[in-house]
Amino acid sequence: MSLFFQVILDGLWAGLLYGLIAAGLSLIWGVMDVLNFAHGDFLMVGMYVSFFLGFLFKADPLVSWVASGIFLFLFGMLTYKLVISRILGKAMAPLLATFGLSMMVKNLVLNRFSPNFRILESTILEGRSFMVGDVIVPLPQFVTSLFALAVLGLLYWMLTRTRFGWAVQATALDGEAARLMGVNTEKIFLLVFGIGGACVGIAGGLLPSYLATHPDVGTLFSLIAFMIVAMGGFGSVPGALVAAVMVGLIESLAGFYIGPVYKYIAVFGIYLVVILIRPKGLFGW
Amino acid sequence: MRKIAAVILALALIASAGAQDKVIKIGTLFPMTGPVATAGQRCQAAVETIVDIINGVYPDLDLPIAKKAGLLDGYRIELVKADHQGKPDVAKSEAERLYGQEGVFAVIGSYNSSASKPASAVAERLQKIFMCGASSSAALTERDLKYFFRLAPTDRIEAIEFVHWFDELNKSKKAGIKTVGVIYENTEFGKHAADEAKAHAQKAGYKVVADVPFTVGATNLNSEIQKLKAANPDALFGAVLGADYSLMVRTMKQFKWKPKIAINFCSGYQDQKINEQLGKDGWGFMGSAGYTPEFGSRFMKGVAPVEAYFMKKVGVPFDSNSIQEAVAMYVLALAIEKAGTLDTEKVAEVLRTATFDSPLSMGGKVKFESPGGQNIMARSVISQLQDGAYKTVFPYEYKDAAPIYPIPKW
Repeated sequence: MSLFFQVILDGLWAGLLYGLIAAGLSLIWGVMDVLNFAHGDFLMVGMYVSFFLGFLFKADPLVSWVASGIFLFLFGMLTYKLVISRILGKAMAPLLATFGLSMMVKNLVLNRFSPNFRILESTILEGRSFMVGDVIVPLPQFVTSLFALAVLGLLYWMLTRTRFGWAVQATALDGEAARLMGVNTEKIFLLVFGIGGACVGIAGGLLPSYLATHPDVGTLFSLIAFMIVAMGGFGSVPGALVAAVMVGLIESLAGFYIGPVYKYIAVFGIYLVVILIRPKGLFGW
Repeated sequence: MRKIAAVILALALIASAGAQDKVIKIGTLFPMTGPVATAGQRCQAAVETIVDIINGVYPDLDLPIAKKAGLLDGYRIELVKADHQGKPDVAKSEAERLYGQEGVFAVIGSYNSSASKPASAVAERLQKIFMCGASSSAALTERDLKYFFRLAPTDRIEAIEFVHWFDELNKSKKAGIKTVGVIYENTEFGKHAADEAKAHAQKAGYKVVADVPFTVGATNLNSEIQKLKAANPDALFGAVLGADYSLMVRTMKQFKWKPKIAINFCSGYQDQKINEQLGKDGWGFMGSAGYTPEFGSRFMKGVAPVEAYFMKKVGVPFDSNSIQEAVAMYVLALAIEKAGTLDTEKVAEVLRTATFDSPLSMGGKVKFESPGGQNIMARSVISQLQDGAYKTVFPYEYKDAAPIYPIPKW
């Protein structure tokens, strides 16, 4: 029985991390109808920021996430200002532009920092775990999960309880009407892109506690994040959380009880089923 | 005045055309980007090191190709680089481009067995030479190809040696190894290595209790390691490359599980940078090694001066994989010299029949089986990471440290 709980908890940790990564993607899509293809590369950049702060200044990821978050907030806003704002609303252009951005960022990092895998040694969380009965709870994943819940909670609170959040929702529902009501939609877009970046930046800041940093690290994460956003419903933060936890649990249960090789088959299979039954996703707007 | 200028121009053109003719184009096809790009870039640098030596004059090196500039009567080697990103389909199309559009004489590559397979099939169809350094899938040399030559020992040779090593430990140390597990990336290389490991372990009477494939570049290896922990094999075979290797070791630590002995095919284990960064967590793991700097300094005296040039490029010494790519270029150069011509058929014939002296190879010789192309002189040893250094533990005639067995618990 403890093994079952172990598998469930492993899935939960993985799921909450996916949720944190997917949140920003979901927000940007929900408000602006822009699918940010460079999302995985944003994650990778966040990991590099955290890695180099750790490597050069001995800063622990538990501290560096702040810097990664701020860096990606600015990076997100810059992306909006320099790329997205110029082509927003022009059919596929933003999507194709973020695809180009993704390739550019990845290859720039590859060129500047080489493809070497970079691992932070002796971080505070690395290798630590605690036991609940017979179940092992790895500390890095546990802490990352707490961050995921906090960030997602904050995001949800901000969207539903603050004037800024209402403005964001109004912009998402009808940009034209929001503008007529005096909402500065341009500023909303800018901040939303920044906040989306910050969410994934925080995830990237924490990950070097247990994951190697390299230019390709964001690839599979971003694929899973896209799936979660589609499954949870584009733009829905609770949807992203539920879908992410579902994905984590399916992955873990299928990986252990059917066989590791089946875990992504199960995950993407169930995604397909959900999309066929509910094309707007579980909590789609 | 104009006439003189025209004559000079014509002469210059003729001279440059002559110089251009004296070039042998060789293609390199490695994963320069993607999850195993580090290894690919080192392989590329290894080939470049040998090419520098061929094209220049290096009297301090005790290699026949170092004494004069170029091959034959002054042919320079020019490399045409290609990147297959670790993807078989890209490897195939890039091989077609190299042989077709670029007109290369031969291709050296491709690190990943899954990439070497389609790329060398292109070479065979075009009847062009394909030199394969590090790819270790035994299936590659079981296709009876005539233009394919592979330097590295195969997974099969290594699997047999690993199982032999378990037998030896059981006999001499009463190690009590009875059950084995395998963890491997779900690719041509991983699957094949795992199949060899399972087959030879079973043949020797060991029970396979866990069979765990995983997706390359996985976001986590939790269920994989849980599966291993639940089955708790005495010995673990690993075919895990690059970043996945560090994730595997760290996940094992998180779940507080280690087998008594963990032994790796050509993998992240051999990457010194990864092991430096893993620190003490990586100690105690074992793996096959076609080369380690420690081993080289004792048994392969010819490597050190070449390695010095290699280190200028990448900052790390040769590893088991990169050195095989250097040998691939080296042996190809020897074959061209020996054939005395750039006729592909004649050079290939030399490769099929001659025995080459190679100070860069363990055992010092290279000889290819024909057809098939396996280097039947390929050797490898088993090393263990002890206190941050790769120590040779088996076979005993090469050993420089006693094995630490079982691996200390976390």
